[in-house]
Amino acid sequence: MRRFGAFNWRGVWSLYRREQLRFLRYAGESIAGPAMSSLMFLAVFQVALGGGVDPIPGVTLAQFMAPGIIMFSLTHSAFEGAAVPIFHDKIEGMIGDILGAPMTALEVIGAFTVSAASNALITGSVILALMALFVDLPVHNVLAIVGFALAAALLFALAGVIVGICAERWDHFSAAEAFLVFPVALLSGAFFPVANLPGEVQWLFRANPVFHALEGFRYGFTGQSHESPAVAAAFLLPMIAVLGAVAWRLFDRGYKLKP
Amino acid sequence: MDAHSLSGGGRGPRAIGAVNWRGLWTLYMKEVRRFLNVFTQTLLAPMVTTLLFLAIFALALGGAGREVDGVPYTLFLAPGLIMMTLMQNSFANTSSSIVIAKVQGNIVDVLMPPLSAGELTLGIAGGGVTRGVLVGCVAGLAMSIFLPIRIHDPLTLAYHAVNGALMLSLLGLIGGIWAEKFDHIAAVTNFVITPFSFLSGTFYSIERLPADWQFIAHFNPFFYLIDGFRYGFIGRADGSVLVGYAVVLGVNVALWAVVHRMFATGYRLKD
Repeated sequence: MRRFGAFNWRGVWSLYRREQLRFLRYAGESIAGPAMSSLMFLAVFQVALGGGVDPIPGVTLAQFMAPGIIMFSLTHSAFEGAAVPIFHDKIEGMIGDILGAPMTALEVIGAFTVSAASNALITGSVILALMALFVDLPVHNVLAIVGFALAAALLFALAGVIVGICAERWDHFSAAEAFLVFPVALLSGAFFPVANLPGEVQWLFRANPVFHALEGFRYGFTGQSHESPAVAAAFLLPMIAVLGAVAWRLFDRGYKLKP
Repeated sequence: MDAHSLSGGGRGPRAIGAVNWRGLWTLYMKEVRRFLNVFTQTLLAPMVTTLLFLAIFALALGGAGREVDGVPYTLFLAPGLIMMTLMQNSFANTSSSIVIAKVQGNIVDVLMPPLSAGELTLGIAGGGVTRGVLVGCVAGLAMSIFLPIRIHDPLTLAYHAVNGALMLSLLGLIGGIWAEKFDHIAAVTNFVITPFSFLSGTFYSIERLPADWQFIAHFNPFFYLIDGFRYGFIGRADGSVLVGYAVVLGVNVALWAVVHRMFATGYRLKD
């Protein structure tokens, strides 16, 4: 009998690789599709709204929009990348292969979350590279760019794990996407400076984790933000911990996974 | 036709007239029930997404009274967004119906019954048109809560709504019949339908485009759909409204002929 240490590294690596290969196998949908729509968003904003005043002094419309669009694609990919495989395996009955493997809940959740997050970062990097062809993007702080991209990807991958476990039908999944993920990801200041909004709706945006991730992410490019990156990090890390705990608990109990 | 012949009656085959009305109705209702069964996904989700787009563009303008030819930008944008979601949903309905049936192997249940190519086209495209128009109505009503939407010309509006839904339903049928895997239809959606519905004047007057692109836009049937539909609301169009009527009708007749031919010959449907 093969012995495992405290942590089943081989199991986690296998699951991680499986999810990555799944992602790459459908690169047309998982990378090229979001890349196409991101460039379209950029073009539409430029044509529809361009030619006016800069959204933030010293930052052009395209320089402002590009990080927002990348962040939107990143969060959406991370969510789908975690929710769809888990949900698909569940309704196709293949989840038993994972439940039966000698892996703890933490190892399974970890593998799904990290693979979805790293896949989303691949998509985000491709979009960033394509946008850099058209937009003169400054880089102020690489660590902030990578760190906040990773934080947002992990947060939405965990949300995806939770939705993948809880959903019983495809329309549950798309309801979560349309009523939760899209509003949170789109109404975050991705496409407009939140500081310009009236005071009474601002709290709504400041309660949104994507707003904070985006502030830090955009700071990494332009060096300007409404709040310090430390505040953004202080907001995001506890949220990741909470969602991680919920996902772990659901999987550990076998909620809607085990009969 | 008496009650016995209608119900099968056990007295020989049921007589079918020139048009198999019952079969056509059954197929149409199957297509409608298919999307109504998951209405949160097929009606409410597109409505919410459309409202989000409206909110984003309204907020991105920062409250500056931006106008397009004297029309407030939000009122200019609203018809574009309604048409965009109408088109995307019509396409999704027919394409997913065919692709899923092909992949799962139950397309034979649609091909076996005594339905002609024309009846198949009408029944399935009818389902797509119904979904597109319903989504459009729901999105329009939701927007009218927030915006003072006025209708300038209801006939032009309805003409383009129905023709837009039909054009995309027929394109969905062509795409669905051509596709052999989900990836294929996802690629058509991502690289053809979404870009065209996005970039054909949904968000801006094509007068904002460089002159060469404006010229090209006049060969894009989606442009006429959006432009004509918007004319129905605000009474202002980029192109000629009469040319728009003719173009969308002509394109639909041509697409109908293609779909009819595909069903008649069994292209990628029958081995």
